[in-house]
Amino acid sequence: MDIRVLTPADIPHVQSTNITNLPENYFLKYYLYHALSWPQLSYVAVDVSRPKKSPYEPPRIVGYVLAKMEEEPINNIQHGHITSLSVMRTHRRLGLAEKLMRQSQRAMVETYGAHYVSLHVRMSNVAALRLYKDTLGFDVEKVEAKYYADGEDAYSMKMDLEFIKDQLEETYGVDEGDAVGEEGKKDGARKEGDKKGKKRKVKLGRGLGVGDLVEKNESKG
Amino acid sequence: MFCIGQLHRGIKAADQILKKKPDHGDTIAMKALIINNQGHTEEAFAMAKLALQKSMKSHICWHVYGLLYRSNKNFEEALKAYKFALKLEPDSPQIQKDLAFLQMQIRDYPGYVQSRRAIIQNKTLFRQNWTALAVAQHLAGDLWEAERTLTTFEETLRSPPPKSDIEHAEAILYKNTIIAEMGETERALDHLNAAAKDSPDRGWVMEKKADYLLQLGRMKEAEDAYRALLDRNAEYRRYYEGLVAAMEIDKSDPQALKALYDEYAQKNPRGDAARRIPLDFLTGSDFREAADSYLQRMLSKGIPSLFANIKALYADSSKRDTVQDLVEGYRSGQGVVQMNGTAEKKPESTEEQQPNGVEEKAEKTEPFKPSVHFFLAQHYNYHLSRDLDKAMESIEEAIKSAPESVDYHMTKARIWKHHGDVQKAAATMEHARTLDTRDRYINTKAAKYQLRYNDNDGAIENMGLFTRKEAAGGPLGDLLDMQCQWFIYEDGMSYMRQGKLGLALKRFMSIFSTFETWQEDQYDFHSFSLRKGQIRAYVDMIRWEDHLREHPFFARAAIAAAEIYVMLYDRPELASPMTNGVNGDRNSAEQRKAQRKARKEAEKAAQAEAQKKDARKPAAVDQNGDPKKEDKDPKGDLLMKTSDPLEDAMKFINPLLEFSPKYPKAQQTAFEVFIRRDKDLLALRSLLASHAIDPSDPTTHYQSLRLRQKAIQKPPAVPEAALKVFESELSTLVSHDADLSKLNNDFLQAHHESAPHVQASLRVRCELLDPASKDTASQDLIRTLALEGSTLEDALRGLELLRGWKADEKYVDTYIAAAHERYPKATTFQEGQAK
Repeated sequence: MDIRVLTPADIPHVQSTNITNLPENYFLKYYLYHALSWPQLSYVAVDVSRPKKSPYEPPRIVGYVLAKMEEEPINNIQHGHITSLSVMRTHRRLGLAEKLMRQSQRAMVETYGAHYVSLHVRMSNVAALRLYKDTLGFDVEKVEAKYYADGEDAYSMKMDLEFIKDQLEETYGVDEGDAVGEEGKKDGARKEGDKKGKKRKVKLGRGLGVGDLVEKNESKG
Repeated sequence: MFCIGQLHRGIKAADQILKKKPDHGDTIAMKALIINNQGHTEEAFAMAKLALQKSMKSHICWHVYGLLYRSNKNFEEALKAYKFALKLEPDSPQIQKDLAFLQMQIRDYPGYVQSRRAIIQNKTLFRQNWTALAVAQHLAGDLWEAERTLTTFEETLRSPPPKSDIEHAEAILYKNTIIAEMGETERALDHLNAAAKDSPDRGWVMEKKADYLLQLGRMKEAEDAYRALLDRNAEYRRYYEGLVAAMEIDKSDPQALKALYDEYAQKNPRGDAARRIPLDFLTGSDFREAADSYLQRMLSKGIPSLFANIKALYADSSKRDTVQDLVEGYRSGQGVVQMNGTAEKKPESTEEQQPNGVEEKAEKTEPFKPSVHFFLAQHYNYHLSRDLDKAMESIEEAIKSAPESVDYHMTKARIWKHHGDVQKAAATMEHARTLDTRDRYINTKAAKYQLRYNDNDGAIENMGLFTRKEAAGGPLGDLLDMQCQWFIYEDGMSYMRQGKLGLALKRFMSIFSTFETWQEDQYDFHSFSLRKGQIRAYVDMIRWEDHLREHPFFARAAIAAAEIYVMLYDRPELASPMTNGVNGDRNSAEQRKAQRKARKEAEKAAQAEAQKKDARKPAAVDQNGDPKKEDKDPKGDLLMKTSDPLEDAMKFINPLLEFSPKYPKAQQTAFEVFIRRDKDLLALRSLLASHAIDPSDPTTHYQSLRLRQKAIQKPPAVPEAALKVFESELSTLVSHDADLSKLNNDFLQAHHESAPHVQASLRVRCELLDPASKDTASQDLIRTLALEGSTLEDALRGLELLRGWKADEKYVDTYIAAAHERYPKATTFQEGQAK
């Protein structure tokens, strides 16, 4: 299963994966809007194990994350938002959703200077809640009553992404360019020691994927 | 667009002005525009024409005229009107832009470049105007000019823009793609290193750097670059391929390759790619060893996609046998010790969760054994390793350990499908659905299986559990709105099988329209993307839109629609709603009964429709919030009553040939349309194309002989020069004086063990050469059922052939009996007698 960034050519197939898996569906144009506004943020999981049978065979999209940046953030604090995430039932338990999310989150920080990412999830969707809360580290922000068309409430969830910024700096060096948005001011509050020493301000939790990144880059830190 | 209220106010305001000045062309034009927005196209055009009569020299009237044409997709006339308006008002930025975007939309690149140059004249300071010109030049193929345009603007910048300037950062990367497209890799790399070092799109820059380095043969650096990419994402085959190339690992040295992948497998304890890829290149005992550990690892985790991930290996039959041997071994309890207690087996609480759907508790206790049975069920259900009895045995075994497992019942349904028992397949899938009613995936599957069983009502009812309740037009309306192609297509195919050709056509037409919508969707991005500044993604989108209709759903729907038009041409009586069915010509009592039933159904449907209309309070709008036009032909009756079905078929055939020319069935379907239209040269062109793809294709064989026969009986009525070309080209397939009967027998001899080929040769004999041979051909067709490699699909097609020939009932009965013996569970051959 390839994990890679979504391209416009994937979109009809992502749309079809979405309507196969979830009740919240969108016109193709809405996917285009995502892909053409923040082309780095949306990812797909593609089954590439079989050779193509015809020259027109489409990519076999088994999962995707459709993500965006908040267009008009409050107090100008840049943040990302997950519009939709799903994995085909046949391809569950491979950790695809987590891998897709982590790629997208990094891009939010790397490309758009996101401080956090938000999303909505059905209150009844236990499995998704566990992924967001336990695996990825989201917190419940509030309950949005009757958020879904069928009347179900949503949890509005949020995850701080500052730790990704630290990891990126450890891996690729500190950014010397000027900051995006409010970053400059917020940075001042951070402890000096974090960057120099081997101590890492990382939410390890169950985040094994993140762990990998950090371990490797200790020497550079 | 406007909201409904605004439109009403607009009309009111216009009417007030017109009361005082009834001849005010500009106002009439504005009113026409509003009326068009409300969906009253014809009225709008009449009014716009009136406006022009009143004010021939008004750029507003011409501009509106262009807008009307554009919104009705008559781009050529729109272009003319815009140009006329611009002549009257050369400095209008709005007309200028509308013209430019239309030129982009219809890919008039020279025109677009020209318009973009004109726009820059007025606004030199805007970066987006320069970028737009570069895009125009780039797409027009003038890469050098495009780069120069971007550089020209860069040179006007006094200080480097801040890093937060996304538009600037993007323009740099866009320029880099142009340099690379010119083939100047070295310069592209230098440019990347110099100008894009701190680009916010780090992932893309790293990818390009790795690719450029590899292309330039700078292997050590390329290796580092690909390793850096794999550190970011170890689940992307392209990166591994790049790394292998950069390290110059000998592809014939599997051990060296394996060592590299092992390194990454260790680094990524939860990764899949580095473990799975070696199974592709390892062979013999190395393969066995690697497959053993891969299979056990995944089986003990109970990963449901294991088989889907493995089956590609079955193209190599020795690998298929090894996998079967290994997993059968696990079933009988051999060789499973090695995995027990390894670090990789995780406690239940750390199983990965997925965001949608509820998990199955039952499968989690001891996944290994049931996973083995589940794997074997899929294995024996797969066409390259099929043994449906073993498959059923295995899945029952798995179900015993987890009676509530959706996945297991889903596979059981698939086994019934391969048995040909569409009814049991649908019922089993429906049972799986009830085990997890909140999961849309299984709901989707259940609906699909219902459609395969021609249960359209059951399918839409199930789909309705997940569609928006407020959607206009009920569940189907929502699925059409949400562009749910698979359902629309399968619904159409189901109606086609049932002989409800109007409804089938209707569905395929809906698919056709969705593609038009998708093509239209790009229009807003011609300006949006320039404002957003994400140019590379925009160019990618444009290039994808250029071959949008390569999408398999387009091709399949187009083929099916054309096939229906061919049927309507061959048997015009099918278009009359009285018979409304391909199989409607059974005995008369049955026929009358069916007609009565159909009429009753039609009345009931009309009533329901009327009620629905009353209930439909909220005005239906399309994706842009514009009011939708009412569908005056919901059943497709008007579509079916066409006076020229073959001409209508061309609407599908033309894009099919343009976008899927390498799809044999596309060429073969086009052939059937062309030969009926006496366009024999075009028929030949399609025939040559399908012959080039596969010279021994059965349908191509039939069509070659058919065209040759027609050419003998009635040569195409074309000028002599053209006829000469036709003759010489056709002769490359079947020579002028060939003995067709002998050719056909030779073909039969060469392929006597393949049912589709035998069927094709019998078709030639019975339909083209010797209609009197129908009885012997029928008997020969029965014998194809005994061919070893023949499949259920072949058997079904054979029955269609017999019925198409109107073969003697006794042969049909014998055929069905023989087929029933070979495929005892197939629904068609069980009910065959009654049908």
